[in-house]
Amino acid sequence: MDPLQSIMKAYNEALFDTDRDGALKVVHEAVAAGVTPEDIVFKVVLPAMESMIKSISEDFDANLAQHFMTAQIATEVTEEMIPKFRAVPSVAGRVVIGTAQGDMHSLGKRIVIGCLKARMIEVTDLGVNVSPERFVDEAVACNAGVIAISAMMVHTARGENGCLRVRQLLKERGLDTRIKIVVGGAPYHFAHDLYKVVQADAWAEDGVTAGRVIEDLIRRVR
Amino acid sequence: MITGMERLAAAINGQASDRIPVFCNMSDQGSRELGMSIEEYFSRGEYVAEAQLKMREKYGYDNLWSLFYVGKEAELLGCRKILFAKDGPPNVQDFVIKTYDDIHKLVVPENIAGHPAFQEELQCLRILKGEAGGKYPICAYVTASMTLPALLMGMEKWLELLLIGPVAVRDELLAKCSDFFRKEILAYREAGADILIYANAFGSTDFVPMRIFREVSVPWMEKDLNPGGTQGVVYYCGMARLTATIEEVFEKTGIGTYYLSPLDNIEQGKKIIAGRALCGGVINDIKLIDWSRDEIRNEVRRIIEAGMTGGRFLFGTGVMPYAIPEENIRTMLEAAYEFGRCKSQ
Ligand code: B12
Repeated sequence: MDPLQSIMKAYNEALFDTDRDGALKVVHEAVAAGVTPEDIVFKVVLPAMESMIKSISEDFDANLAQHFMTAQIATEVTEEMIPKFRAVPSVAGRVVIGTAQGDMHSLGKRIVIGCLKARMIEVTDLGVNVSPERFVDEAVACNAGVIAISAMMVHTARGENGCLRVRQLLKERGLDTRIKIVVGGAPYHFAHDLYKVVQADAWAEDGVTAGRVIEDLIRRVR
Repeated sequence: MITGMERLAAAINGQASDRIPVFCNMSDQGSRELGMSIEEYFSRGEYVAEAQLKMREKYGYDNLWSLFYVGKEAELLGCRKILFAKDGPPNVQDFVIKTYDDIHKLVVPENIAGHPAFQEELQCLRILKGEAGGKYPICAYVTASMTLPALLMGMEKWLELLLIGPVAVRDELLAKCSDFFRKEILAYREAGADILIYANAFGSTDFVPMRIFREVSVPWMEKDLNPGGTQGVVYYCGMARLTATIEEVFEKTGIGTYYLSPLDNIEQGKKIIAGRALCGGVINDIKLIDWSRDEIRNEVRRIIEAGMTGGRFLFGTGVMPYAIPEENIRTMLEAAYEFGRCKSQ
């Protein structure tokens, strides 16, 4: 077997078992054996996420712990590897993320952020309970192509200070075509068409898939 | 007239009544009923009791709730800041546990019934008991030790501690949460609650892998429930799926009712339960907001047809969102009364 392939296999198995120490060990041994930091990120960490997305789309039920761990390890490894890259990697796009106004649930956001870093997407975390005005102001300030809004309750997903208001502000300020909105969280999980009701451009069922969906949106605004 | 209590007893015993029990879990809606803000509504036990009785009477379903909002449990453990909304449930705004040191400092109140933050709920229970005791089952909501940390430190920090934090700190917190659970469930039982919703998202393999479920969730469930028994206890994973864990939970705790997720397969759930316990078939009430009359009726019918055969079945909702139009609530309930009629009578 190609050495990179066996590294990826061992890394994937550790993720599946939510075994952080195991996954980090695989990475560190690979680096010691001469695998480049670039290959660790682009040929191990990223493909591991892609293969998880593929299994999920084929009906494999990844649990929350697995999403958490995938994001957590991807963050740790990417942050450790980037300073060791031979050249500073180019930024693939910029995103601002936060939870909707009135919503204090931060976990979904954290998982999504973790899944964006290895894609070289720069994320600005606006925290929890973020007003619609702040989402838009910060997106403009960061030159972000995507606003990502996490909402765990129905009233924060559908309410007048959530995504709907962000959309309205984007329209008012003529930013509608330049900045896309992506949403996620429990209510969307239970009602797959809800993202249309709140006038978002896209949604994602889980954190790992969110990384891919956001990357696709960035391509669309460029 | 047949009461909700009689319907429930019949379902538990596998007998037919006029229809299956119908549980409709409304909380924030009470404020609308009394024409006050959600914050004002939840300030008094009298208000909650009055609205609970009024809504049950108006719609005709079978259960009553002593629950104000889940954040009340955090208040019992020292939370001082609740974020009220005008169109949704109150939320914990300030976490009691911010550092691991706060876990060492966390004190479980000795006497829950005497705790100032419990008085309004007690008042509510007293009124419900007086007005409807023995006729309509009174539900209380109790968060399992394994899930309570999410309310005290947030899901993010709890998952971090559970999956990659120090085991000793995790277990210290779980021991305190389990101690709290046992005291809280006792307080509710003594105050007259008939049904105790055991809320445990971490009892679902949507949240943790089977290994963690077996190694951590199950032992803490046993610690929560075995001392006080499972009389009236309902297994509920916060609308996450639970068919994969029913067998083990039944074997280890003997819980007698399983409240499925709308995403669970009802036939499969019934098959695993195999007549040993009561099964709740639950509607996706988030979709109830936008569904048409036909969609609602079809869905209620599908759920009841899937679950009613063989008895020991009830129809239920999740925590009904405030945004559901009243008309849709009525449509759902009328359909449940119609399709849930027991043919043998
Ligand atoms: C665990 C849980 C609890 C726990 C912990 C709460 C807490 N503090 O976090 C407890 C038991 C304490 C609880 C209490 C309550 N809960 Co609760 N809870 C849940 C449950 C089971 C999971 C929520 C969660 O934290 N998930 C973790 C997140 C990270 O997982 P996830 O949603 O799958 O996230 C993935 C995707 O959505 C996606 N994603 C997330 N964000 C984003 C953002 C973007 C941009 C993208 C692209 C993707 C994305 O990626 C994530 C990772 O894979 C859900 C039901 C469910 N099955 O989802 C109900 C649920 C969220 N709760 C609900 C409610 C109502 C409450 C209460 C308000 C009840 C009450 N009346 O008091 C309280 C509030 C407590 C408080 N905070 O004060 C409702 C909300 C719906 C509604 N009616 O508005 C739900 C949906 C249950 C239901 N159907 O009735 N709850």
